[in-house]
Amino acid sequence: MNIFTIHLLLRTLRLSSPIALIALGETYSERVGIINVGVEGTTVLGALVSALVSYYTGSAWVAVIAAVLGGGLAGALHALWCIRFRANHVVSGVAVNILVAGLSLFITSALWGSRGTSASAPTINAWYIAGSALVLVVISQIFIFHTRWGLRLRVVGEKPEAADTAGINVYRTQYVYTIVNGMLCGLAGAYFFNNLGYFVNGMVGGRGFIGIAAMVIGNYSPVGALGAALLFGFADALQMSLQGYIPSQISLMLPYLLTVLVLAVLIRRAQVPAALGQHYIKQ
Amino acid sequence: MIAALKRSALLRETGLTFLSILAAFGVGCIILWAGGYSIPAVFLNLWKGAFGNKISIGQTLTQATPIIFTSLSFLIAFRCGLFNIGAEGQMYMGAIAAAVVGIYLKLPGILHVLACLLAAGLAGAAWGWIPGYLKAKRGVNEFVTTMMLSSVAIYFTDLLVAPRMVLHDTRYGSNQTVRVMRSAILPKLLRPTQVTWAIIIAGIVVFIVWYYLFRTRSGYELRAVGQSPKAAEYGGISVKRKLILSLCLAGFVAGLAGAGEVLGTHTRFISGFSPGYGWDGIAGGLIARAHPIGVLFSAFLMGALRAGSMQVQRSGAAPGDIASVLQGLVIFFVIAPTLIRRLIRWRRNR
Repeated sequence: MNIFTIHLLLRTLRLSSPIALIALGETYSERVGIINVGVEGTTVLGALVSALVSYYTGSAWVAVIAAVLGGGLAGALHALWCIRFRANHVVSGVAVNILVAGLSLFITSALWGSRGTSASAPTINAWYIAGSALVLVVISQIFIFHTRWGLRLRVVGEKPEAADTAGINVYRTQYVYTIVNGMLCGLAGAYFFNNLGYFVNGMVGGRGFIGIAAMVIGNYSPVGALGAALLFGFADALQMSLQGYIPSQISLMLPYLLTVLVLAVLIRRAQVPAALGQHYIKQ
Repeated sequence: MIAALKRSALLRETGLTFLSILAAFGVGCIILWAGGYSIPAVFLNLWKGAFGNKISIGQTLTQATPIIFTSLSFLIAFRCGLFNIGAEGQMYMGAIAAAVVGIYLKLPGILHVLACLLAAGLAGAAWGWIPGYLKAKRGVNEFVTTMMLSSVAIYFTDLLVAPRMVLHDTRYGSNQTVRVMRSAILPKLLRPTQVTWAIIIAGIVVFIVWYYLFRTRSGYELRAVGQSPKAAEYGGISVKRKLILSLCLAGFVAGLAGAGEVLGTHTRFISGFSPGYGWDGIAGGLIARAHPIGVLFSAFLMGALRAGSMQVQRSGAAPGDIASVLQGLVIFFVIAPTLIRRLIRWRRNR
């Protein structure tokens, strides 16, 4: 069986792009201290909005923009709950996931009469999104580590009190980058829609959580996140190549199993932002 | 009413929860209205499906039973400061273990049931141990690993009952096992409804979990770790062992949910038997504000929403999934206690 071909390489690049986008988004929000487990649901929302807007406007490019905005909205909701209402970050993220899961079933049933599946709609080439993921990673690496804006956002996650004293608006910074996280997930969602041509429940299938894993392994840096995403993308690509050779259940569980194994082996603990998951209360 | 609510913390918590549920239903109405659905028709059918007659009340209780277990599973980990969002997978591991013991082990009467329950609990606990161990020893985020392992468990159990595999029932094409022995079956409790003895077991487990958490030393230490790991460590508690223990216990209880479905509702393991009971447990645990006794109420609510949603779907008043939307909304309001308080204050100040 000849599975190690150029196709596998291309597929790896392509399949790792949404994971890289999610991991990049999570890097932004965790760098300002906000854990967002809602990236899974936010990505689903992005895919759903893509399908909706593409279906009704007929323009796939408008749909991509709408997905990014929709993702940003979910990010804003999460930020509001974590910052203003001081909800536990993980719990709020889980709530986003559950609400979007319900909404996607409800909306597909209501509009297309089939539970969890949309009609086909115009798409763009998903490679555009894969390419933009690469560009965004490079820009973010420079932005986070080599600009004053990047320094500010890192301080907010490490020592919010110090940031506040230095005149940085902690809450606003947290809002902005949690929304950025949502927008990047929205773009990842647009990838899933454009890759398939329609929305189907389960199309994201835990990639949001794999994105968080990639962020952890990438040690809170965009380039690191991309590296880890490539590894997980490879698992996804391999899984598709292996279909037909081994029972589908084994190939399907591969990416999830690999995520746990990779986390267990490769995790490093030193880099976690000091104020991660805490509620900053302005004195 | 608000003054009365202030009198006791318990009443206030309960009051806030009810207000949260009301608020969520209010937002649900807006969504229904925006979609052009008849709000009275939806809620009438929701009510009919959940409480309309004996059968529908039975349906509510049947749906609530596994959710009681998964809610307890979520809250045991939550009390220790962990997020078990993989109860779904632990439940599947428990279910397949219960089925194996129920099919192959010959034991008399009640012993057989107990053996099945034990096997299910241990299988779930093993599946909870992995993320617990990784969290304690390596610092791996348990909300990622429990989620990933949940998917692994669902595919793994599906593989075991697939055609040409060991546990497959060769008489049928679908992925399921043969029936468990008669001695392992949990009998129906209230005919003609589908309610089985599993609900009694669920009630007992609620009490045991409450007793463990609030009346034993180990349970106290577990909660202490959840409150403040640093203080607990300083006080001489082994935090790492407690983290592992809490996820094992969470897995054990989630495994029992699977046993209840296999031995009671279906009398066999069917791949994909759960419509998402593990996820409902997250909602159930949060709405109960992580209190075991509160789970009796919250799981009942989740069960009623599930039973009611079927009737909403059948009646054509709206897609039945409006119930899942309501569930999501309820969580949002419940987890933001300051939000409801703010709303109350805002009303009073006007």
